[in-house]
Amino acid sequence: MATSLSYYLREMARGEWLRKFLFVKTAPYETPPHFRDYPRLTGKECTHCLACMMICPTPGAIEVLKTENGWNPVIYPGHCIRCGLCVEACPEGVLMSGRILESQFYDNTGYASTFHITVDRVRCMRCGNCSVACPVNKEEDPQLAATGTGANDAVIMRVKGGELQILHEEKCTGCKTCEETCPNSAIRVARVVEAIHVPEEEG
Amino acid sequence: MSFLQSIKNSVRSKSIHVSYVNVGSCNGCDIEVLAMLAPRYDIEQYGIYVHNNPREADVLLVTGAFTPQWEDKLKSIWDKIPEPKVAIAIGNCPISGCVFNRRGSYVDPPVAKHIPIAAEVPGCPPRPTEILNAVLSLAPLVFKDYEEKQS
Amino acid sequence: MKKTVDVSLPIGPLHPCFKEPARIRCETKGERVISAEMDLGYVKKGIERIMRGRPWQEVMFLAERICGICSVIHNMVCIETLEKISGVEVPERAAYLRVIVNELDRIQSHILANFSYCYTIEHETLAMYLLNLRETAMDMLELITGARVTCAYMVPGGVRFDLRDEDRITLEAALDHMDHELRRYVGMFEHGPLVAQRSKGVGIISREDVIEAHGVGPVARASGIPESDRRCEHPTYQKLGFTPLSYEEGDNYARVMIRFDEVFQSIDLIRRCLANMVPGTIRGGGAIKAGEATHAGEAPRGELTYYVKTDEYGRIVDITVRTPSIMNIESCAHYMLEGVSSAADVTSTFISADPCIACTER
Repeated sequence: MATSLSYYLREMARGEWLRKFLFVKTAPYETPPHFRDYPRLTGKECTHCLACMMICPTPGAIEVLKTENGWNPVIYPGHCIRCGLCVEACPEGVLMSGRILESQFYDNTGYASTFHITVDRVRCMRCGNCSVACPVNKEEDPQLAATGTGANDAVIMRVKGGELQILHEEKCTGCKTCEETCPNSAIRVARVVEAIHVPEEEG
Repeated sequence: MSFLQSIKNSVRSKSIHVSYVNVGSCNGCDIEVLAMLAPRYDIEQYGIYVHNNPREADVLLVTGAFTPQWEDKLKSIWDKIPEPKVAIAIGNCPISGCVFNRRGSYVDPPVAKHIPIAAEVPGCPPRPTEILNAVLSLAPLVFKDYEEKQS
Repeated sequence: MKKTVDVSLPIGPLHPCFKEPARIRCETKGERVISAEMDLGYVKKGIERIMRGRPWQEVMFLAERICGICSVIHNMVCIETLEKISGVEVPERAAYLRVIVNELDRIQSHILANFSYCYTIEHETLAMYLLNLRETAMDMLELITGARVTCAYMVPGGVRFDLRDEDRITLEAALDHMDHELRRYVGMFEHGPLVAQRSKGVGIISREDVIEAHGVGPVARASGIPESDRRCEHPTYQKLGFTPLSYEEGDNYARVMIRFDEVFQSIDLIRRCLANMVPGTIRGGGAIKAGEATHAGEAPRGELTYYVKTDEYGRIVDITVRTPSIMNIESCAHYMLEGVSSAADVTSTFISADPCIACTER
């Protein structure tokens, strides 16, 4: 200890030291820019492909709503867990959060989603609710109603030959409306996601 | 506003005692509350003292999605706290159940059904700065002119 | 002749030293503890039941939120089990990045456990020093993954984000800073006489008792069982030349010191990873297939086991998680608290076994 007691007494009697001791408070630190905050809109045009809603792990966190200037995803802060999957899954780059969007651009990473439908043959009552509720079916065949029987074979699924047949699984967008409408929990949609990285080709 | 009331206002906004209760959380939000004690965020410089005694507290921090075991106990803890008091819900779990709000789980969100919540800090978990802002801005508002509001 | 009255002392759910609700019921004779029992079940949410029928991108976040302190290792073991079922290979750069983030999480968890212990034995100065040091580790986690807690960094086939060159320089500077500061704090802990009086010889558990109580993690390693470390069987750690540590005494002091030593070991492992890092892809792709597997990893508190069974689209059919804290808590309640000589030592012994009640009850 090279300094003596009188040094400390002189130091503490200074007005500057007293002012700092009694009045200065450290301000709460700023949030760094690389923190994964709630996703914000970038201003790019949203095509309402709903890829962000399909990959979100929390119920009720993100919805794509239509306002007067077009479709936009809306995040609810009380539900969103700030995971950043919707930012990475969007093909247009409509959402941004921290450094996720620019890392995705530099690393060429992404998610490849496919959707598969499975029907439990024992529980299915062939009521046709799923075929009528499916929004893709509505676009393909607007006349499809009343227990899901019809003559159009371009729909994803319909009641044909006495049972529910899945005709075009590749058109499924994974919205799970059929799963929620089924009264017996017979039909299930699997959202299969694969995390891929396509490195840039040289030359 | 009498002189005594203004003294009470200034004392209550500069000396806040906090107690926290975990009604079924994953500990992420509790660790962020503990991180506020660290010299970096330093909650004690504002006069906020984090202990765990409901009898001496002004502010109750609630974390966690409500599990069935706490149904009677949370109400009794809330009743033990003397007036004036305020409860703040930290994190997504007391607001909406976070990811646990699925069919088949034991949780019963939101916590506002069981005790009156005055403010919510969303996030999973929220940053210590966000919690600090909530506690600092809410407490003086609630405790200001408390006696005059009662009459 | 004086009669000492037997009192049943509940150290209740809400306590200043506990972060989570758990009750220890001690049967005492005067102030000496004869036996203790644990009451758990305050935070049970039924996470394993919600996980059924969900694909990996939702199960990963649920698994992370089993425990918020050791969230990275839950993420890692869950994803590694799914990769083991499907035979998905992880590229080398991604494997090293996983080890870096895992070891950063281990550092912050061990420093938190030791902060908790110092706070319980009322050494607030050292506790605050340690908590401030933990903030450096959290900053590094935030720089690499984007979030302080519950990082969600690992996906099947690799990791989500890459390590940039400027972040690498910051990481190395932070490691040097942590190393330098921690040596000072460990010196303060080692040579403090009051610390020694409250920690040495308190809460002793012998090697045979640890094996009988199935203790894992630092509790087992502080009593002389180095092979309880599951990192010895992980291929990336074997490539880095990992050897586990152990102490012989099995008291509070040994448990705290072994956590400090493991922090130094983790800093060294991260430095080796940065030295061996190769450029390459960070995700290998790969879908999850049907099957079942059991996989174990080393959480900061011990050995963590996942048993997972999936269907043909990668959704979970059945899942069971065995977390390390239940064994440590039981070994604490039945063996360590037996001869403890005062009620104040009950809390410090319990905290030195590093309980994580949220992990235990899911």
